Amino acid sequence: MSANTYDAIVIGSGISGGWAAKELTEKGLKTIMLERGRNIEHVKDYVNANKDPWDFPHRGGRTQEMIKDYPALKRDYPLNETNLDYWASDKDSPYVEIKRFDWFRGYHVGGRSLMWGRQSYRWADFNFEENAKDGIGVDWPIRYKDLDPWYGYVEKFAGISGNKDGLSVLPDGEFMPAMEMNCVEKDVAARFKDHYKQARSFIIGRTANITVAHYARTACQYRNKCWLGCPFGAYFSTQSSTLPAAVATGNLTVRPWSIVTKILYDKDTKKAKGVEVLDAETNQTYEFFAKVIFLNASTFNSTWVLMNSATDIWPDGLGSSSGELGHNVMDHHLGVGASGTVEGFEDKYYFGRRANGIYIPRYRNLGGEKCDYIRGFGYQGGGGREGWSRDIAEFEIGGQFKDAITEPGTWTMGIGGFGETLPYHENRITLDKTVKDKWGLPVLAFDAEIKDNEKKMRMDMENDAKEMLEAVGVKNIKTHSGNPFLGRGIHEMGTARMGRDPKTSVLNGWNQVWDAQNVFVTDGACMASTACQNPSLTYMALTARAADHAVSELKKGNI
Amino acid sequence: MNRRTVIKNLALVIGGAVLLPSCLRKDGTSYVQLKHISLDGDQQNLIADIAEIIIPKTDVPGAKDLNLPAFVLKMLDDCYNKKDQLAFLAGLDKFNTLVKTKYNSTFSDLSVKDKEAVLIGIENSNKPKAGSKAPARRPKPQKNMAADPLNAFYWSIKQQTIFGYTTSQFFMTKEIFYDMVPGRYNVHFPVSKLKLKLA
Repeated sequence: MSANTYDAIVIGSGISGGWAAKELTEKGLKTIMLERGRNIEHVKDYVNANKDPWDFPHRGGRTQEMIKDYPALKRDYPLNETNLDYWASDKDSPYVEIKRFDWFRGYHVGGRSLMWGRQSYRWADFNFEENAKDGIGVDWPIRYKDLDPWYGYVEKFAGISGNKDGLSVLPDGEFMPAMEMNCVEKDVAARFKDHYKQARSFIIGRTANITVAHYARTACQYRNKCWLGCPFGAYFSTQSSTLPAAVATGNLTVRPWSIVTKILYDKDTKKAKGVEVLDAETNQTYEFFAKVIFLNASTFNSTWVLMNSATDIWPDGLGSSSGELGHNVMDHHLGVGASGTVEGFEDKYYFGRRANGIYIPRYRNLGGEKCDYIRGFGYQGGGGREGWSRDIAEFEIGGQFKDAITEPGTWTMGIGGFGETLPYHENRITLDKTVKDKWGLPVLAFDAEIKDNEKKMRMDMENDAKEMLEAVGVKNIKTHSGNPFLGRGIHEMGTARMGRDPKTSVLNGWNQVWDAQNVFVTDGACMASTACQNPSLTYMALTARAADHAVSELKKGNI
Repeated sequence: MNRRTVIKNLALVIGGAVLLPSCLRKDGTSYVQLKHISLDGDQQNLIADIAEIIIPKTDVPGAKDLNLPAFVLKMLDDCYNKKDQLAFLAGLDKFNTLVKTKYNSTFSDLSVKDKEAVLIGIENSNKPKAGSKAPARRPKPQKNMAADPLNAFYWSIKQQTIFGYTTSQFFMTKEIFYDMVPGRYNVHFPVSKLKLKLA
């Protein structure tokens, strides 16, 4: 056994890669985790986590230099001064947009598990059934019952706080005590219930922030600075959770600066034998070998690795035999919602900064309802008081103005929708060999957009938001409907979908590449549809399930 | 030796060979080293004087005490694009002309009352209608700055002054409550308690 040989290789160290490493090492496999970017050490490398707002020279804003350096990231909130180091460089790693696609990446140990939104929702059974029912894309090869125990397994370890709300549209899980709604949210929730009865629900968000101490992690301190990295380890990330567990087994090797350029396919065994790695610092090439490979490079980069692993047998890439590799690019479409003001709570405030909001699960096209579009959307939102920089009606400038802005502002309530995007074969990514990244590697070209179903849904998302806020007594309601470009949801899904048939899907029901069954893809690439729930919890459950299967198949000698 | 002294001495040594950086004020001090926008000492002082009218020294520190002019200048320098910076400069000239026409004086030489009147005049020109109680429609400085330089100039200063003030250590720790580590989420926190805590 050479020094470069392991039992398992995990490509990527984000949410799903971290889970793969934890599960495989805990089951006794000597595992190497390959990460394309730098290391970020838990706590020690969260360099801005303990800075106060006034410690940032531009108070968290963006400079012209940043705007110039990050032509894609600048399109939305991620470009900011406080955690700029956590976002991949658009200059070093460009991509091609046949149609606009907002691709916001994290190239470092932990990936986007450090910056994610942490909302964690199970899918319901109907989410797995709708493709078949609607004749859209391919049928999911699994159902809720297949994932249910794995949802519970990952929830218990990751630490998800939330209420058992007893909703069929949003199954309950193994929750820690929920965070509390503030006074306005509680009032709105009560009115909401009066108005909509059981038809719609308004619940506290279920979030991967722990509300009681958990392993070596401290309960959430309500700082709301999660995306700087949490010194308390209070939200789930690779660093706070899966990495220490994997390291504790003694079976894990982590190799940062390791860009996996291809999976090495052995045509005799019809399996992958290892991977080729380009050292991002030295530009040296290495090979690593293993019996099992977990590909968790983040949705589109996992597909990039497969595409770049083309051989004479698979000229369009490993896993390309169905013709679906790179197709069915999906994301949640968002940027549509409404907000307004709430009266009657002027004497009330809250203490602490809760990094969580409220959630309105999907209610459209259920129970026999048929809209002029299929599927549906959920809303995230919350109540809060306007900040100190607001306008003051009575004073424009001067001492009285200065005094007035120390008073808390008006209470507001706002919600924004997250809509399901259908899998469209023509929404695709391809390798563009004419454009190279900093390391001379071909880049991805994006050709994807929302279509009629999503556009119609967005009109409902906007109207419903207004109607619901009106129904609960919110005043001065304003709706918004922003840019509909894919990518900005950062809920990237598809391009190597699971399915029941190797002719129409890239992966089987255990996330194994049909064409090389010791290669497992368990990040967003595997998704056959998007539902409207935040997807990361489902990746965790799929990964733990696939790792269990991988080890069992290894033991049986099947892979 | 501090940086200002170093710069002064350098200028003395090199004499006429060096152009003084535009950010040096008349007295040789500067609010901030500017890299992308050119503002001479008078112009920087004007911005500081406007900021001080917006957030004046009262029984608690004002804009100048809190070094907010330096923050406003840093934001203008680093965060505004060339086009918006040019609009800001054009607005600065318009502002000076407006004051000169009305008072035959520079803004800085006006009484506080007159300074306030100048700024409120600009505020009122943005109100939906005369005498309206609603706050002035706040033009978005990043939008259409070139089309309306006077407003671009004034509202940029106002926006950044208030932003700088409300995110300053003084404001966040003395005027409102801000805890780095709240440790809990209490939804039954009355506003009155908020004030008690500060007292």
